[in-house]
Amino acid sequence: MKKAQLIIPFVAAGVVAAGPLLIDDRFLLKVLTFVGMNVLVIVGLSLLFGYAGQVSLGHAAFVGLGAYTCAIFTVRLELPWIVGFATAGLVAALGGLILALPSLRLKGHYLAMATLGFGELMTLAFVEAEPLTGGVDGFSGIPFPVIGSFEFREPAALYWLVWGVVGVALLVAWNMTMLRPGRAMRALHGSELGAVASGVDTVGVKVRVFVMSAALAGLSGALYAGVVGFVSPSIFTVGASVTFLAMAVIGGTGSLAGPVVAAVALTLLQYSDAVVPGLSRDVARVVQSYREDLYGLAIVLVVILAPQGVAGLLRRLGGGGRS
Amino acid sequence: MADLLQFIVAGLKSGAVYALVALGFTLVYGATGAINFAQGEFFMLGGMIGVALAQAGAPLGFAVIGSVLITAVIGGVFELLAVRPIASGDPLRIIMVTIGGSVVIRQLALHVFGPDERPLAPFTAGPSLRVLGAAIERQTVWVWGITAVAVIALAFMYRRTLFGKAMRATSIRRDAARLVGIDAGRMVTVSFALAAALGALGGLVVAPLTQTAFYVGASMGVKGFSAAILGGLGNPVAAVGGGLILGLLESMTAGYINPLYKDAVALIVLLGVLFLRPQGLLGGLGREKV
Repeated sequence: MKKAQLIIPFVAAGVVAAGPLLIDDRFLLKVLTFVGMNVLVIVGLSLLFGYAGQVSLGHAAFVGLGAYTCAIFTVRLELPWIVGFATAGLVAALGGLILALPSLRLKGHYLAMATLGFGELMTLAFVEAEPLTGGVDGFSGIPFPVIGSFEFREPAALYWLVWGVVGVALLVAWNMTMLRPGRAMRALHGSELGAVASGVDTVGVKVRVFVMSAALAGLSGALYAGVVGFVSPSIFTVGASVTFLAMAVIGGTGSLAGPVVAAVALTLLQYSDAVVPGLSRDVARVVQSYREDLYGLAIVLVVILAPQGVAGLLRRLGGGGRS
Repeated sequence: MADLLQFIVAGLKSGAVYALVALGFTLVYGATGAINFAQGEFFMLGGMIGVALAQAGAPLGFAVIGSVLITAVIGGVFELLAVRPIASGDPLRIIMVTIGGSVVIRQLALHVFGPDERPLAPFTAGPSLRVLGAAIERQTVWVWGITAVAVIALAFMYRRTLFGKAMRATSIRRDAARLVGIDAGRMVTVSFALAAALGALGGLVVAPLTQTAFYVGASMGVKGFSAAILGGLGNPVAAVGGGLILGLLESMTAGYINPLYKDAVALIVLLGVLFLRPQGLLGGLGREKV
């Protein structure tokens, strides 16, 4: 590994951390906080897709599961935020485990279809479990995150909270890909048969990766609930899952950097009016209404033309690097 | 008793539609070894194009046949544009392409036909039929009749025509089929077109009963797939059986337990089959020895 490749993450981390010191536009800061939440989901999804070669069409449902869990724990049960946050991750992980165990023993398309069904089922559940979730009207009045006596209510504080969690998740994920589990995952993606032959517990690895990616999505949901203060079933749909998948696919396989870059870029596209000063409202509206078309088309084109995605591009820029 | 009969009628009605969608999954799985995630969108297109043709003044029969043909062409073109370029690759890539394609198809339908739910006129007007105290809407008889004709026609094509035999040969062993001069690529295109036509037929026959909209594809895709693997993926007979069983399970759940749980049935079936019997209930029955 070259020195440059070690320096870049530190520089990037420094720039991200300094964000609130450089930006005084509250809306932009909020948008960048949303970017962090999506990056958190994509860190998990890129392990799942890009390393373990599995497709999930239900990650928005895990985000929703986390958001509602955190809301219910903090508002209805009046428990400390940190308990709700941790439980959100656990509940989403459990959902992932229930889904992964049966479908991962089979070929990947079963998991993809099962996650699609799970997504639809959870949207239904969020609506129907009205006493818990507030039904179609959504769940409002969710308090800001609190740790000890510190309440994260300023945009800058929320930004640091979200990106802090992202940083920890990235570190854990990066370690996973570099160490033994990562090698197992990469072997799995290269050739499942070969991985089995060299003693890799392929099902075990896939299940663990799926559970971890579901947990990260759940934590992202818990953060969303705290930052926005309101959740509703219309947010955690299959359409949102496709958006996440598009980020992971466009990001490319065998890399964390590629999907993170894709997640940042595609999330900013959604808020193009906040990021590009002077962009006319009409242009922003067109981008907004054709957003899903673009994601769908991007998945098709990337899979056909550039299966390595942004990661492949970064590798080429980095002068070859690892394959 | 009359209740039970009524639930059975309702179950076999939606079941017949699931069977059509499930057959589409089976055809494409047979030809490519992958799941076509756009299958539900062909169901949606069938209904939406039919409604559009009827509203443009076409006679109902023409609207139905026209919609099936147009959807079949879209299915074939979809294969040529999106699936063909990666046909020899990893099934994961085919899955991804059909997921992306399904989003594009759905969004295009939204832009072309608008966001509203639309009805189609019943194929024949008139009051419901009464059989042993159960009411059967005339359209339900159409659903059964058209499904039966489609299934029989497909079975005939598979067993009796040279073309059908070539398709079966391709799905059993692609390289061997190529050796005896079968154009395997063309077979895949035709599988997509046929699967699209079957899905469209399903979307058309239920449109008078349930209305249709641009967003109905994804959930129908899940149900059709659940039906297909309930029977056993890759087996056409099993797909039809799976569809009817799933329809009955849903309708019994709605009737005897709680209508709220109706849409959860397909997912529970899906996960249950994956857990307990991945080869499906009828798995192995229709398998042919090479």
